[in-house]
Amino acid sequence: MKQKLQHIIVIIILTISGAAVFFNLKVMTIYKDIPGGISRYIISFGLQDTGSLNLVTAILYDYRAFDSMGESTVIFGAVSGIVLILSRKMLPVSSKGLSFIVKRTLGIMTPFIALFSIYVITHGHLTPGGGFQGGVILAAISIIFSIVYGSAFDYKRYSPQMKTVMETTGALMFISIGVLGVFFEGFFLDNLNFLGGKPGTLLSAGSIPIINLGIGLKVGAGLAIIFYSMIQKTFREEL
Amino acid sequence: MIVLEYLLLFFLVMSAIMAVIFDEELISIIFLSIFSIILTAIYLIYRAADVALAEAVIGAGLNTAIFMSAISQIRKGKS
Amino acid sequence: MLNNFIFVFLFMLGLYAVIMKTNLIKMVIGLNIMEAAVFLWVIAFADVGKDVPIYHLGRVGENFNDPVPQALTLTGIVIGASTSALLLTLIIELNKFTDTIDRNKLKGLND
Repeated sequence: MKQKLQHIIVIIILTISGAAVFFNLKVMTIYKDIPGGISRYIISFGLQDTGSLNLVTAILYDYRAFDSMGESTVIFGAVSGIVLILSRKMLPVSSKGLSFIVKRTLGIMTPFIALFSIYVITHGHLTPGGGFQGGVILAAISIIFSIVYGSAFDYKRYSPQMKTVMETTGALMFISIGVLGVFFEGFFLDNLNFLGGKPGTLLSAGSIPIINLGIGLKVGAGLAIIFYSMIQKTFREEL
Repeated sequence: MIVLEYLLLFFLVMSAIMAVIFDEELISIIFLSIFSIILTAIYLIYRAADVALAEAVIGAGLNTAIFMSAISQIRKGKS
Repeated sequence: MLNNFIFVFLFMLGLYAVIMKTNLIKMVIGLNIMEAAVFLWVIAFADVGKDVPIYHLGRVGENFNDPVPQALTLTGIVIGASTSALLLTLIIELNKFTDTIDRNKLKGLND
């Protein structure tokens, strides 16, 4: 009986607070035609300032590039915590994979997935996409190797040391572009506008494609290390 | 277009309710993956292209894989 | 009107799963549902029905949606996935020491 009483009290309290939040939201003014302020400035002058056609990429990697650096630090902190807790012995483990049909099919499909991920990373300022999305697709390739071909294959191809080197290369690329911004323009992470052509081509928009490459490498390698550490202990009882 | 939006929102709420009710963990994780996929379609209806791509890759791909690999280490003797 | 109601309902559903369920994995699923509800509300509130904010050849800049909430939501999604991964790692380690994933059986670890 105590269980049912607890249920009813919790549901009543959640309903009352839900109604309070709902009435509070109803009083907010309707989001008319993009109020004046920062949005109107970015829509009007975004193409002139940065040279990139995608406005969301221009916000994330030029106007607010410092926040993207903080987000990479959060991913780095999560990877460090997981590797510290979970892997005491780094043994290469079982080479048992899935059946033959799946191996052959994914052997044909994997180069196309890699090509798609590089396309999404480098065309970040022309089409929807960017560094984060393409980096996670790169991590998916490592996940496919671990599941379909067995962890010994993944250990032989991309050992965890190489993944760590890739992650630190991405982070150093990001920070060195920032320091170059101090030398050439005067502010940390300012856009190096002399590196570009006209907007709409691949090599435009200053330092945004290089930042995209750095972030893509870092996110992809970090998430692949997370998945590899988490499945390692499963097969240890089977050997 | 309005009919599609209301239908997808109804399925979103139903799959969230199903993910909380059941006791076994495997069923809840599958309903969480369905929740992510429907959320991707809703982001496209609201004209947010970058967010839809990110939610499709992270929510329906990586999150489900991490949950499944955590479940397989909790039951002793089965993988 | 409908967006506000769905946001409140999903948020309270996730909060109910975090408070009342005793399985540790259900608490992580509830946390994910709460975060997804907040992102859905931010994007639905800033949608005025205009175009995707990308310049193509011959598109005027007065017909664009707002790009600032979309950039904030993108950051939030990645951080939510990292938090879930770290929480699941702690649950796996706890299971190795005490052989259970029930919240009520965890008291008195040094008996």
